[in-house]
Amino acid sequence: MILKALLLFLLSFGHSYAGDLLAQINARLVKTVITNGNFQQEKQLKILSRPLISTGVFTYHQSKGVIWKTLTPVVSLLLVNQSHLLTNQGEQAVPAAFGRVFQAMLGGDLTQLADDFAITGTDQKASWQLQLKPKDELLQKIISTIVLSGDNELRLLEIQETSGNITHIKFDQITHPMQLTREQESDFERLSP
Amino acid sequence: MNKSRILSAYHPKATAWLWLLGMILISILGIQALTRDWLETGFLALLPVTEQKPEVAKAVQQHNELITRKVIWLTGASTSQAAIAHAQQLKQNTLQSGLFKSVVLELPQQQYIKSYQQLFPYRYQLLDAQTRGILSKNPKDLISQNLEILYSPIGQMQAANLERDPLLLFSRYFDAQNPIKLNLEQGIVVLHDQQQNWALLITELNDSNLQLDKLETLLDLVNSSQAQVQAAGGELMVTGMPLFTAHGSETAKQEISTVGVGSSVGILLVMLLTFRSPRPLLLSFLAIGSGMFAALVVSILFFGKIHIITLVFGASLIGVADDYALHFCCDSFGSKDWNPRRGLKFILPGLAIGLLTNLLSYAGLGFSPFPGLQEVALFSAIGLLVAWLTVVLLFPLLLTGFKPEHEPRLLKLSTYWQQHWPDWMLKNKRWLILVLLVFIIGGIWQLTPQDDVRLLQSASPELMKTADKIRELFPVSQDNQFFLVSGKDQNDWHQNEQRLLNSLKPLQQQQVLKAYQGLSSYWPDERSQQENYRLLKQTMYDSGLLKQYMADLGFSEDAVKAELKQFKDSENKSISLPEWLATADEAKQSLWLGCDSVRCQSIVSLTGINDFSALSALQSLQGVSLVDPVGDLSALFERYRLRASALLIAVYGLVLLGLGLKFGWRNALIITSVPVVAVLVSLATLGWFDQLFSLFNLFALLLVLGIGIDDAIFFFIAADKRDSTSLAVTISALTTLLAFGLLAVSSTEIVHAFGFTVAVGILTALVLSPLVGRGLGKQH
Repeated sequence: MILKALLLFLLSFGHSYAGDLLAQINARLVKTVITNGNFQQEKQLKILSRPLISTGVFTYHQSKGVIWKTLTPVVSLLLVNQSHLLTNQGEQAVPAAFGRVFQAMLGGDLTQLADDFAITGTDQKASWQLQLKPKDELLQKIISTIVLSGDNELRLLEIQETSGNITHIKFDQITHPMQLTREQESDFERLSP
Repeated sequence: MNKSRILSAYHPKATAWLWLLGMILISILGIQALTRDWLETGFLALLPVTEQKPEVAKAVQQHNELITRKVIWLTGASTSQAAIAHAQQLKQNTLQSGLFKSVVLELPQQQYIKSYQQLFPYRYQLLDAQTRGILSKNPKDLISQNLEILYSPIGQMQAANLERDPLLLFSRYFDAQNPIKLNLEQGIVVLHDQQQNWALLITELNDSNLQLDKLETLLDLVNSSQAQVQAAGGELMVTGMPLFTAHGSETAKQEISTVGVGSSVGILLVMLLTFRSPRPLLLSFLAIGSGMFAALVVSILFFGKIHIITLVFGASLIGVADDYALHFCCDSFGSKDWNPRRGLKFILPGLAIGLLTNLLSYAGLGFSPFPGLQEVALFSAIGLLVAWLTVVLLFPLLLTGFKPEHEPRLLKLSTYWQQHWPDWMLKNKRWLILVLLVFIIGGIWQLTPQDDVRLLQSASPELMKTADKIRELFPVSQDNQFFLVSGKDQNDWHQNEQRLLNSLKPLQQQQVLKAYQGLSSYWPDERSQQENYRLLKQTMYDSGLLKQYMADLGFSEDAVKAELKQFKDSENKSISLPEWLATADEAKQSLWLGCDSVRCQSIVSLTGINDFSALSALQSLQGVSLVDPVGDLSALFERYRLRASALLIAVYGLVLLGLGLKFGWRNALIITSVPVVAVLVSLATLGWFDQLFSLFNLFALLLVLGIGIDDAIFFFIAADKRDSTSLAVTISALTTLLAFGLLAVSSTEIVHAFGFTVAVGILTALVLSPLVGRGLGKQH
């Protein structure tokens, strides 16, 4: 467990190609500069008898990054872009690729993921589903599968760790406003160095 | 007379044998000296051993050790994948070069893991400052911070070891070990700026003192890698002390050949045009060559190694060493019945006094504490002495039968010059003196001394720009200055350093500096470790807060019990400094200077200093001193600049005294006035042209003294041979001017200043010296 955590600290993802399936699904997704939505996150940690449930809102901006604001049970803010990751406790040392993946998923540009994951899945009329398996050998030791599903938006994200921990994130009330609110603007400003 | 007795005992063949024997001896010594590694290139080797206490010197050395070997490479591309790919290629190149003892691209994961495992058992004792602060102020804040982490989508990383570290204490401590957060991709540090992603590669040289060919290999490696990365569409930035050294040596090498070739070609042309015979030319080169060779051999034998900058100065010696040969050969134009023996008899006093003053001025250089200048002094003195001996011992034999029949054009010119120029000067002396006074006073008025030690180093603006850019991107590289913290024992040291670190924290927030690193912020001493444990016990474990927190999260009762037991069992644990250091990385290890019977000492390293004086004020803290090696050296420069001024005056006094005893006081004053005015004009020109004025110009002025005196004396004793003397002085001034003028093109500030100063001085002496023995001074 310790080792895996450290590896996750130290690593990130490799690369490869984007398949037809991915392109197909990608074409279905709404792509705008700004995406807003609510999330409900459920973390099931093996050592805890109850899941850790939290809810909040997120904002994606094509060039600025992602604001991940948890509202319950504790208020906290996470700002991430390609090069920075800020929390209330300051700058964090987390692979920049993490920010990239985050942004790829929320921004609806899934093709970027093909570099780092082997992707399988189904594309049906009502919804699509993708299973992502990390290509990097060391990353495989930590994350077994990431499952994504949705329609014209990403609706569900599930991270299955090899340890048995599972994180389940549901997205709803997704909107695509034309402009950021002033609060969102100022949050993003904190990210630019 | 003594002189004639010496000369009557003089036998050209015998002296030539003597010379040959001497040269053979030097050659034998030379084989020994030149076959080993004798060339020094490092910048630090030029600097004097600091006049500091040994413990400070040791700290400086340990602090420099890491800096002097490190080469930092950044490969840039628009995507981080591409940047990493470039870096991987670069890594191969650097490994193949065999220059480096370590090449780090992927951060060593094994080391982190090992260090994690070794320190984890001490998690209740090793608290970081922030956690300690939270616990003593409001322990509940720690719990809410933990919840934030646990509920965050990226929390797994920080909370990965939740099972064994439910309060995330160790996760916080371990995280705080690396205060500067670097982005890692595939285990590689990737930095970002507006346009580019940069992958970081750090290499460390095998040897902090690289030989010249290795430096070339390094430069070649940098250049070829640069071309390779660029061809692949990327960018490469490289910095590090070794690179500065390599560029410095490269420049020095070019300058040696510019100065050497330039003065040789100058001498070649002048000699051929004047004598229309290859003999004086070949003999001159023999004199110069013997002198330079002997200088090289003796200097290496004496110093062990000599610096490349010495050779730059040495190359300029060509112009001075040539003087003796010139005076001898030019004398052949002086009288109809000239032969080498008679010529030597006439010229010897002048040559002897010339040599003495030259040696005296170079000896002056030897009084400086700078190894570089001491080398220049010995090198030049030996070079001149042997060139002089070659002329005196060998020339009479080899010039036998030499008698130029023609009258060279240069002789006509210099004859006209020496006949009319003094008259014109004397006629116009009123306003000439006025102009001269205004020029001198005005120029010296504008003279502003600069004593910055960095002037010793020649760095291209490009190199500096890259270095700045890299420092901006990667603010981990330490500044030259640091705090030295001491205490009478480990406890005392720890307290003192903690006090310093606590005072540095607000300064960091005020942007006085970017970052600092001290051991005591990572390693709490045994007493603090016990305090940490007690603090945890009181706030978390005995208060029931931990129990409640774990229960709320959903830990099982067994897990809570296990954690309480773990805590209880760890009560008497403690980790000593050596044990802790064994788990630390090289940078942290190098901060510890160790304990002896009287004290324990450490370094607190500093990064990105903006306000030095604010840091300097912290020296009022107990056991804290701020060490600024560069600043100290600059102060040393200033001190020695003042000392060198006194030395200069003393040497002039000495010369005046010697000449006074030989030629009478009035004549001595007249002869000395030539170099004195030359020196003043030199200084004034520096002022008018806003040139660098430092310690080194003063040493240059010693040479102006030597050369100026030469010129004046030769005119003084010339009697009816003024024409040939004038020719010799003119030619010698031309060749010397060429040599030092070429030094003035150097890109190393001090070499440039040196050349400029001497060039102006020689020119002035050339202009003034024909006055001696004409309007002024009488033959005795």
